[in-house]
Amino acid sequence: MNTFEWMNVTTVAEAVNALKSAPSPADPDDAARPIAGGQDILTTMKDYITRPTRVVNLKGIRGLDKIESDGKGGLRIGALVTLSELEESPLVRRSFPGLAEAAHSVGTAQIRNLGTVGGNLCQRPRCWYFRLEEVVCLKKGGTECYAATGENKYHAIFGGGPSYIVHPSDLAPMLVALGTSVSVVGADGKRTIPLEKFFILPADGNLRRENVLKNEDIITDVQVPASKFAAHSTYLKFKERDSMDFAMSAVAAAVTLGANKTVSEARIVLGGVAPVPWRVPKAEAALVGKAMNNEVLTNVAKVALEGAQPLARNAYKVPLTQTLVRRALARVGGLAT
Amino acid sequence: MPQQPQAQPSPTPPKKKKIRVPRVINGVEQMVEIEVDDVAGPGWGPNDKHTLLNHRLTRVDGPLKVSGAAKYTYDVRLPNMLYGRVRRCPHAHARIKKFDSSAALRMPGVKAIIQTPLTEFRFAGSPVAAVAATTPELAQDAARAIVVEYEVLPHVVIPDAAIKANAPRVLPTEGPGGEDNLAAKGKQGDPQKVEAAFATCDAVVEAEYRTPRLHHCCLETHGMVVDFSGGDTATIYATTQGTFTIPQDAARELGLPQSAVTATVQHMGGGFGSKFGIGIEGMMACRLSKETKAPVKLMLTRTDEFLMTGNRSGSWQKLKGGAKKDGTLVAVQATQYRLGGVGQGSQAGQPYAVYRAADTYREIYALHTNEDSAIAMRAPGHPQTSFAIESLLDELAYKIGMDPVAFRKKNMPDAMYHRQLERGAQEINWAKRNPIPGGSPGPLKRGMGCAAGTWGGGGNDQCKVDVTVTRDGAVTVAVGTQDLGTGTRTFTRAIVAEELGLQIKDVVEQIGNSKLGGANASGGSTTAASLSPSVKDGAYKARMALAEKFSPLLGNAKPDEIVFANGNVSAGGKSLAWKQACAALPPAGVVAHGVWRSDLQTRGVHGAVFAEVDVDVETGKVRPVKLLQVQDGGLPLNRLTMESQINGGMIQALGMALYETRVMDADLGVQLNPSFVDYKLPGALEMPELIPLIDDEDKRELVIGIAEAAIIPAIGAIANAVFNACGARIRELPITPDKILMALAAERRSA
Repeated sequence: MNTFEWMNVTTVAEAVNALKSAPSPADPDDAARPIAGGQDILTTMKDYITRPTRVVNLKGIRGLDKIESDGKGGLRIGALVTLSELEESPLVRRSFPGLAEAAHSVGTAQIRNLGTVGGNLCQRPRCWYFRLEEVVCLKKGGTECYAATGENKYHAIFGGGPSYIVHPSDLAPMLVALGTSVSVVGADGKRTIPLEKFFILPADGNLRRENVLKNEDIITDVQVPASKFAAHSTYLKFKERDSMDFAMSAVAAAVTLGANKTVSEARIVLGGVAPVPWRVPKAEAALVGKAMNNEVLTNVAKVALEGAQPLARNAYKVPLTQTLVRRALARVGGLAT
Repeated sequence: MPQQPQAQPSPTPPKKKKIRVPRVINGVEQMVEIEVDDVAGPGWGPNDKHTLLNHRLTRVDGPLKVSGAAKYTYDVRLPNMLYGRVRRCPHAHARIKKFDSSAALRMPGVKAIIQTPLTEFRFAGSPVAAVAATTPELAQDAARAIVVEYEVLPHVVIPDAAIKANAPRVLPTEGPGGEDNLAAKGKQGDPQKVEAAFATCDAVVEAEYRTPRLHHCCLETHGMVVDFSGGDTATIYATTQGTFTIPQDAARELGLPQSAVTATVQHMGGGFGSKFGIGIEGMMACRLSKETKAPVKLMLTRTDEFLMTGNRSGSWQKLKGGAKKDGTLVAVQATQYRLGGVGQGSQAGQPYAVYRAADTYREIYALHTNEDSAIAMRAPGHPQTSFAIESLLDELAYKIGMDPVAFRKKNMPDAMYHRQLERGAQEINWAKRNPIPGGSPGPLKRGMGCAAGTWGGGGNDQCKVDVTVTRDGAVTVAVGTQDLGTGTRTFTRAIVAEELGLQIKDVVEQIGNSKLGGANASGGSTTAASLSPSVKDGAYKARMALAEKFSPLLGNAKPDEIVFANGNVSAGGKSLAWKQACAALPPAGVVAHGVWRSDLQTRGVHGAVFAEVDVDVETGKVRPVKLLQVQDGGLPLNRLTMESQINGGMIQALGMALYETRVMDADLGVQLNPSFVDYKLPGALEMPELIPLIDDEDKRELVIGIAEAAIIPAIGAIANAVFNACGARIRELPITPDKILMALAAERRSA
């Protein structure tokens, strides 16, 4: 990796200042970066994908490492909470089981012991073109998304173009399903945005980023509100290799169930298939008002994948994701599959 | 004073005989004729009568390894040592236009930059230059700072494109190594006869099978530490499969006589065929050391390792097989492409030697692409060939409606396979499998498959062993050989300990040093059958020499009547403890020199694997449930190590069958997955139940290597189990969920 200046900070304001005062970068990937668990940024630095001249250590900031109740049945999760803490938290496991599952599905125990909630949401894409130093792709300021016509087995079937990355976060689809907001502190103070609006499609904004953060922005925490469906939430991740892998496809699902397993609310968000967590409102609508049974779920799964635009090598993601939608809903609905 | 052997040679020189033995050249075994003494010495004795051999011995270097005390090349740190890093060519085919290292050379800590002798690069990852600096990070920064400009030339990395007439040319037109992208390498059989034979068959299957290029994935990357400071001698710490493959080349690079260079390899983190000779990285390390007059450590990074240290040959095999209703394999026709990149690649000829067909015809080609050269990797050419033939035979068996085990037996001339298949079938409960592919209910479908393999595993005469016993009773066995993690240290000790009636802990081995007695490179499963006869010979000669010395203490018993057992030497009712007896030795003790004896080893192993898998037909996921291998190996020197070898082989086969592949981008000409994130080795959660079964019905009282045999059959067995489970025949490895889902969807469409 390139040499860089390391700065320890103890407050969010200091962190923002440290990022803001860094020399302006020649390239967006040369910009000063915050570091927490370092599980993603170090890999990008070692491969010269990011080349920050200044690295700001957030680990010294107090109070961002807590999972707290918001007093109304919801959660406030600090950005520095580790994935291990999240998956092991009794509060999370009891009331937001899908979130504990999503945290558990990440990487390996070693990665989860260090990786943080904030870092997980801000991971850079795993696209193998993006990750090769020598390849200057669209997301690195080049002119071409090589995955569009190249080796795109692991790439997007929704929301692709001009870049076809998939978002690598496992927490993101589940948190979006749970209606989470994210608080960000930047040069102009604090703002809170729905997590669904935090991620941006390549077609909608800056190709060099996957979210709305500016260089000097710091995520402080995420707020997961109380909901009737949180208790019936699940995260079903399909890995090509169980021992350690990113999602080939994943489904975050949550439902509110009435009598006879009738669904009054549903959230279905797909992971591993789009550049952002991919919510499928039509599928949610197809489920609401229905009593859960295998026939309904098969139809919902079909609706969820409507409009998918597979590339040359990832058409399998359609039937695979349909299966996962069906199975995730069956799990939260207590149905046998 | 140099010690002389105490055992006397026989008074008349023994008769000589000529035999053919495997010798390993760059990891590939080649048969050569040698002359050996035509004498039959004492044998190993019955396989079930050993006190240490053929038992389960924990490896003597185990505690060192699990505690971290074992010192690998990677761990070597010397005073004033510099670190080397490599600059690689990013283009699949390019010529160097400009090379300017002046700015890089001025960077802090940078001591030297050298260019490789190459000016034209024919694969992405080809090394261009190397840097020595005071830290690896500074060396890396400097390597990146070298200014290199290329003339980028047309490339081709996809075999289907490379075979086309107008494809960019991979290799030079003339000169050494120059040949067309598609180069014929041999034909065998009568094509007309085979074609006619197909007409007589009840069932014919014609299909293409493909296996990707694979990586060795040694835990320890390639590299060496060159301890040279400009003086008269040098020591090379090497991670190598051949201690004696190092000094000559290193000496040439350093400008020293070969005798001035010592190679040492105490512990090494795996080779699997990829670590012979100093390699281009070793050459660069030597040159950097020579230039800086300082020790240089050049260990490749994991990325380097993927991109520039070679890999297993891929294969593309067009097969046609025909059988009679009764299961007789009548004819096999094969067009085999070895996918060796800029190298030759490897592939055993079809039909694979396990099986016999009346009429066969094959054509073998090297099909070149702009990729790093294929090199030897555990059983070069065999897993590829085995997977294809085992798949084809399975397809034929299902087509004629015959049990796949019975079908195989019908076409296996060697009865040992029949026994192994029968045992495996019984152990895995083959009779209970669902014979109808995809026939079990529900989305999670279970299936079973089987396959068989073959390998040589014989030895050669390169090992020279010294066994020394001193007055304090210490026993040392010394030979320059290397332990790749395969248990060489342990069996070397065990042979001597058993011969002298001692325990493993009573013997110390000295290995991994080129100043010790010569030894062969560890390739082709030749180590055990080369080393163990020499160790046995040395141990036996030591015992006879000792017996002569002990005789006066034991009532002048004849040497061959003195019994060495349980830590005592005894004869005629008298018994002495080992140390007590040794105290009577002359001050210099006893030294015996062991040489190879062909009558203590042989070649030719078999092996059958049964696989059980679950396939989720709604996700395409294969969950390996059980792998069971029945493996013969003559006399197992150490049952525990042999089981580990079999397990390790099955695990590597599992990776090849289900997970691993080298992914290339056609346009960019680069590997897309040069890391352990994207090159998917199976991990702990992928492991099935592993059942290694040693075939003790093999009564050969001879040593045979089985390391390569262990990797061959499981791949076909797994592929066949997948078919039996779900009804999808995946003919291109690895068998990943996307392929299964798409194959099942295609079948549904055609149904």
